[in-house]
Amino acid sequence: MSKKNSQNKVKSVIYVMMAFFMSCLFMLLSVSVTLQITLLNPNFILDNMNSTNYFVEKRQEIEQSLVDLGYASGLEEEFFENLLNPVDMYDDTELYFKEYYTGKSTVIDTTRFKQDFNSALDKYIEDNNINIVSTGSRDYLVKKAAGIYSSSLEIPLFARMSTYILALKNIMPMMIIVFSGLIIVLTLIVIFTNSWKHRALKYICYATSGATLTVGIIPAVVFISGKIRQINISSRSLYGLFVQCADNIFIILAFCSVILLITSVGLFFIHNNMRKKLLND
Amino acid sequence: MSDKNNRHGHKSHYGKSFLILPIVFFIGTYLVLYMAFAPTVSTFVSAVGMFFSDFEKNYSTDYKNIFVPVSEDSTLPTVKKEVGNTTKTLIKIDNIEFPNYGNQFGQLVIEDCGVDASLFFGDGNIALRNGVGVYSGSFIPGYGGTILVAGHNNTYFNGLKNAQPGQIVTIKTSYGNYTYEIFETAVKKAKDSSAYDLKADRENLIMYTCYPFDELGLTNKRFFVYAKYVSGTQIDTDVKEGD
Repeated sequence: MSKKNSQNKVKSVIYVMMAFFMSCLFMLLSVSVTLQITLLNPNFILDNMNSTNYFVEKRQEIEQSLVDLGYASGLEEEFFENLLNPVDMYDDTELYFKEYYTGKSTVIDTTRFKQDFNSALDKYIEDNNINIVSTGSRDYLVKKAAGIYSSSLEIPLFARMSTYILALKNIMPMMIIVFSGLIIVLTLIVIFTNSWKHRALKYICYATSGATLTVGIIPAVVFISGKIRQINISSRSLYGLFVQCADNIFIILAFCSVILLITSVGLFFIHNNMRKKLLND
Repeated sequence: MSDKNNRHGHKSHYGKSFLILPIVFFIGTYLVLYMAFAPTVSTFVSAVGMFFSDFEKNYSTDYKNIFVPVSEDSTLPTVKKEVGNTTKTLIKIDNIEFPNYGNQFGQLVIEDCGVDASLFFGDGNIALRNGVGVYSGSFIPGYGGTILVAGHNNTYFNGLKNAQPGQIVTIKTSYGNYTYEIFETAVKKAKDSSAYDLKADRENLIMYTCYPFDELGLTNKRFFVYAKYVSGTQIDTDVKEGD
């Protein structure tokens, strides 16, 4: 009898360890799916840009920077009033993300901006009868303006992280398949090696409950601390975009936690019903 | 019967495992992650922490104005000190509100050139957009050092093109009014550090802007206007410990 008891205890410990491993896998799966839907999705940041009025604010910021450049270059403030077009800015940004996520380029294409700037400059010179002494100064001005345009539209640190993001983008689908496969395999092992099916459900419930806490604590801590809104970003539009994207990422994680919670509760009730039925029998 | 008794005895501990084990799994998962990744992630986390402050950032482009004009016959608390063979009247340092970077703290006027600009501490974009700015590595009026002032040539310092030796520059601050007399103008390269001496041991004013004045584009030359100190109460900068 004691040998059977000790065998049962060993089996329980093994099942609990398998449940712990499943819990870790659920957590990794939730994080992987969240990353795949958000940061590794080229349309995620663009969609958030549209919902936060990003391009309108960004236009104002770029215009202000260009006006400051204009003060140092003999250009009146009115010169910059109609220079920037939010639609063109959106197109340039969309192309930037497309090329970024395919590994082609990590910089904004300023060709169209330079053409617009040069055309506006030619008209300004003609209208105001300005005599250009040095074309070198004008060329340097155009180059500086294009630099302001591209650095304003590019996402800071994205270029440095491109290698890691691209590598992660390539392996993430495989990781999701592997994690899902391992969870399914472990679930089947737990179910088919347990003579009492309600006990199998118990261990799976432990795994999903543990994962609920593990996944849920991340967005809970982040939202309660309010740390996201304390990030020090000099651009107001970029700050709004960062907060929106971060909020959405943690909301999706919270959603994964809720799904795990619902699964845990469901498994608990099924397990309870099966156990009561057995006890009554 | 014994099975039922076992089950009843087991029942009191049964539900607790649904609370305890998930908590154990939660702690265990983060322990495993911490042990596996702490050496590599801790540096990254420290670096990321530098991007966060203790409060939300203020995106206002308004600047703080601490300038309150001082009338000619007003008196500020002063102290008399022996300087060499003379007794000088100096402004007590405790009575001065020192400007922070980006604050407007005075007004710079050159009547003969048509220059009348708000004076800021610091020469950033907001300062030069709204007036002229004192380089934060130089001194404020009354400190006995070089005051290096920048401004744009097509806005507040456009009048500098009419600067001539003998013209008077007035700087008004909340702690006193100061006058300087222009004695020289010069065109120099933008990166020519010999154009100004920040370590000078006497008070002097240097104003500069881009050159040529009506050139379109960014230039690599600067127009410097040099002025010597004429009048204005100096600040008592020799403060001993305990004073």
